[in-house]
Amino acid sequence: MTSSNLPTNKIGNWLEDRLKLSAIAQMAQKKEVPLHKHSIWYYMGGIAMLFLAVQFVTGILLMVYYVPDLESAHASILKINSQIQFGWFIRSLHSWGANLMIAVVFLHLFSSYFMKAYRKPREITWLIGMLLLVITMAFGFSGYLLPWDDISFFATKIGLDIASKTPLIGPTLAELLRGGENIGQSTISRFFVIHVAILPLVLLGLLAGHLVLVQMHGMSKPPGIDTPEKPCAKEKFFPNFFLRDLLVWILSFNVLAVLVTLAPWGIGPEADPFAPAPLGIKPEWYFLSMFQFLKLMPAFVGPFEGELVGIFLIAAVAGALVMVPFWDDGKSEGRSTLATMYGLAVLIGFIAFTIWGAIS
Amino acid sequence: MNYPIWVVPIFGGGWIIGIIAIVHVFLSHFAVGGGAFLALTEELAYRRKDENLYAYLRQHSRFFMLLTSVAGAVTGVGIWWAISLVNPDGTAVLIQNFTLGWAVEYVFFVAELATVFAYYYTWDKLTKEQHLNLARMYFGFSVMTLVVINGILTFMLTPGHWLESRYWLEGFFNATYWPSLVLRLLIMFALAGMYAMVTSSQIKDQQTREYVVRFCAKWLLPIFFIGPVAGYFYLANVPQAAIETVFNGVHASGVGNFSVLARALYLSLILSGTVIVFAYIGPYLNPRGLTVRISILFLICGLTVTGITEWMRELLRKPYVVYGYMYCNGIRKESVDKLNEGGFLAQSKWSTITALPHGQNDIELGRNIFRYQCMSCHTENGYRGMKKLLGERDRDAIEGFLKTIKSRKKEDNPYLGIMPPLVGNDDDLQKLASYLCTINGQAEPSPAVSSKAGANSQY
Repeated sequence: MTSSNLPTNKIGNWLEDRLKLSAIAQMAQKKEVPLHKHSIWYYMGGIAMLFLAVQFVTGILLMVYYVPDLESAHASILKINSQIQFGWFIRSLHSWGANLMIAVVFLHLFSSYFMKAYRKPREITWLIGMLLLVITMAFGFSGYLLPWDDISFFATKIGLDIASKTPLIGPTLAELLRGGENIGQSTISRFFVIHVAILPLVLLGLLAGHLVLVQMHGMSKPPGIDTPEKPCAKEKFFPNFFLRDLLVWILSFNVLAVLVTLAPWGIGPEADPFAPAPLGIKPEWYFLSMFQFLKLMPAFVGPFEGELVGIFLIAAVAGALVMVPFWDDGKSEGRSTLATMYGLAVLIGFIAFTIWGAIS
Repeated sequence: MNYPIWVVPIFGGGWIIGIIAIVHVFLSHFAVGGGAFLALTEELAYRRKDENLYAYLRQHSRFFMLLTSVAGAVTGVGIWWAISLVNPDGTAVLIQNFTLGWAVEYVFFVAELATVFAYYYTWDKLTKEQHLNLARMYFGFSVMTLVVINGILTFMLTPGHWLESRYWLEGFFNATYWPSLVLRLLIMFALAGMYAMVTSSQIKDQQTREYVVRFCAKWLLPIFFIGPVAGYFYLANVPQAAIETVFNGVHASGVGNFSVLARALYLSLILSGTVIVFAYIGPYLNPRGLTVRISILFLICGLTVTGITEWMRELLRKPYVVYGYMYCNGIRKESVDKLNEGGFLAQSKWSTITALPHGQNDIELGRNIFRYQCMSCHTENGYRGMKKLLGERDRDAIEGFLKTIKSRKKEDNPYLGIMPPLVGNDDDLQKLASYLCTINGQAEPSPAVSSKAGANSQY
C-alpha cells in the first residue's frame, strides 16, 4: 500500500455512498453570505445555537445529580455546587449560558427586525423565530424554580399570579402549571418535565423548521443594500463564513467562561412557602420590563383591573411585533418607517423598563 | 508600618497597583515580543526583498513605538508611584536589595527607548542592513530589561537562599528564574503575534495581508509546545504551600468549596486552549477572513489570559509580598514576636509620629492599626469590605475573630495561608475591635470605646 491516503478515500467513499456528503458540501459551497456594514448581526443566530448546545450538554449533566423533589431539590443543587467535582462549573455554565442565550436571542430578534428580515418570503421564518423566543423565555421561567431557593420560589409565585390574571385561560393555565392551588411538589415535578422534556422537544422541532427556512431563502439583506447599480459583495458560507463563525463561537464561549469562573452562580436559602416574601423580589432580567410595567399600573383603569389592562397592553405590543410581516410588507415606505420607529420604541421601552425595574 | 501609606477608599490600594501593573504587563510584554517580531519580520522583508512587507512594518512600527514607548513608559512609572504609596515597606525591600539590578535595568530601558525612536525615525535615512541591525539591537535591549526584571519579580515568590544569606544575586537567580524567563518570552512572542494581527488585518494588498496574518499566527506556536513544559518547571519550584493556596485558598461556601485562585486557573487554561484553537482555525486556516474587529477581540482574549495568569501569580505569594520574609502589609515575619510583645502601635514608626485628626481615642488608634495591617487588602466598605465580612458580629465575636487571626498555629487560624497573622498585644486588639465595631454598626458606648486620650498618650 503505497498511497497513504487510501484508507481515507475508502472511508470517504463508504460515507459518500451512504450519506451523499458531496451534496451537502455542494449546498454549503453554494450558500453565500452578503457582505455589508451590518453583516456582524448574521453571527447572532449562530451564537444563540452555541449557547443552546451548551444548555443541552450541561443540562444533561445536571440531571445526573439534580433531584426534582421538594425535600431534596435545594440540597441537590448545594451538593452540585459544593461537593461534585466541577459541579459548580457545569451549573454556572448552565445558568450563565441561559442568560447569555436569551440575551443573544433578543439581539437576533431585534437585528432581524431592523434589517427587515421578516418580509416576504420570510414571514414564516419570523413567526417561528418569535415562537422560539417564547420557548427560550419559558425555559428560563421553568428552570428558575428548580433550585427551590427563596428568590426563585417567590419570583415564580409572582409570575404565576400574574399569568393567572390572563382572561379565559389564565386561571386554568396557572393551576395546570402549579398542579394545584399552591406551589409545591407538583409544581416542581411539572416544571422539571416541562424544562427537560417538553420544551426541548418543541424547541428542536421549531429550530429545525427555522433553519430549513433560512437555508431555503438564504440570508436576508437589509433594504437598499443590494441594488442593480451597486450589487452587494458576497462570500461563500463554506469555508469562509463558517470558519469566521467558529471564531465568533470561541470568543462567545470565552465570555461565558469568564462569567462562569469569575462570578460562579450561587444559590440562596431554601424556599419556605410559609415565610413572607423577601423585600424587593424581582423576576429574572428578561421578565423585568414587563414586571415593572405591570407594577406601574393603577389598581383599576376605569372598570377594569389594572393588571389586566397591563397584560392586554403588553400582549398588544407583542402582537404588533409578531404580525409585523403582515403590516410592513415592503410595499409602503411610510409603513416601513413606521415599523422601524415602532421597533425602536419597543426596544427603548424594553431597555428602559428593565433598567428601571432593576434599580427600583 | 514604617512609612505613611495611601488609603484608597472603595477599591483599595491593591487594585490601583493591579490595574496599572496589568496594563504595564500588556505593554511591556509587547515591547519585548514585538521587538522580536520587528527584527524577524524585517529580516524576512530583507531576504524576500518584499517592499509590501517593508510598508507594513513601517505602519506597524508607528503603532508599536507609540504603544510601548509612550504608554509603556507612563505605566512603568505609574507602578513605582503606586507601589511606593500603597506598599512602601515592600517597595523599600526591593529597592534596597536590588539597587544595582534596578540601575542596570534602567540603563537597558533608556537604550531600548533610544533605539525604538531611532528605529522609527530612520526608515528612509539608513540602509536596509543598518535598519535591520537597529531592529536587532532594540530586541537585544528589550530582552535585557526582561532578564533583569524577571529576577526581581521571581525573587518575590521564591527568594530561596537569600532568606539566609541576604546576598542579592542569590535572590535574583532564584528557583523560578529560568522557567519564568522562558514562560515570559513565550507569552511575549504570542502577544506580539496577536498585536501584529490587529495591524496586519488592515493591510490593503490581499496577498501580503494573508501572508503576514498567517505569519503572525505562527508566533503562538512556541507557547503551545514549550509553554506547558516551562509551566511545569515553574510550578515545581513554587513553594508547596503556595500551590495549596490555589485549591484551598479563599473558600466561598455559598457558591461551592473552590477558591478564586482555582477558578482563575481554570479560566486561564480555558482561554489558553481557545486562543490556540482560534489561531489555528482563524488566522492560519483562513487568513483572508480575519477582520480587524475579530483580531481585536482575539487580542482581548490573549490579554485576558495574560492578565488572569499574572493576577494568579501575584496571589500565589499571599500572604507575603516577599515569600517567607515580609507579609503583604509590610510587616517582616521576623518582627512578629517583637511586635506582639511590645505592641504594634508602640513600635510602628509612622504611627508614633503621626497626629490623629480626631484625637487619641481607642477608635482612632484602632483605625490606625487597621490602616497599617489590613488596608493592603481590605477596605472599610468596598472591595473585600470589612462591613460585609464582619456581618452582624458583635464586639465579643469581633474580638474572638481577631484572636483567631492573631494565632500562628494552622489548627487555630484557618486564614493563615492567605492572610498575615494579626500582630499586636491585647491592647492593640481591643482598639482594633473598637474601630471595627464602628464599621458594622456594632459600636456601643462602653469603657473600651470611650476616649482614653490620657491613657494612650504614649502613642
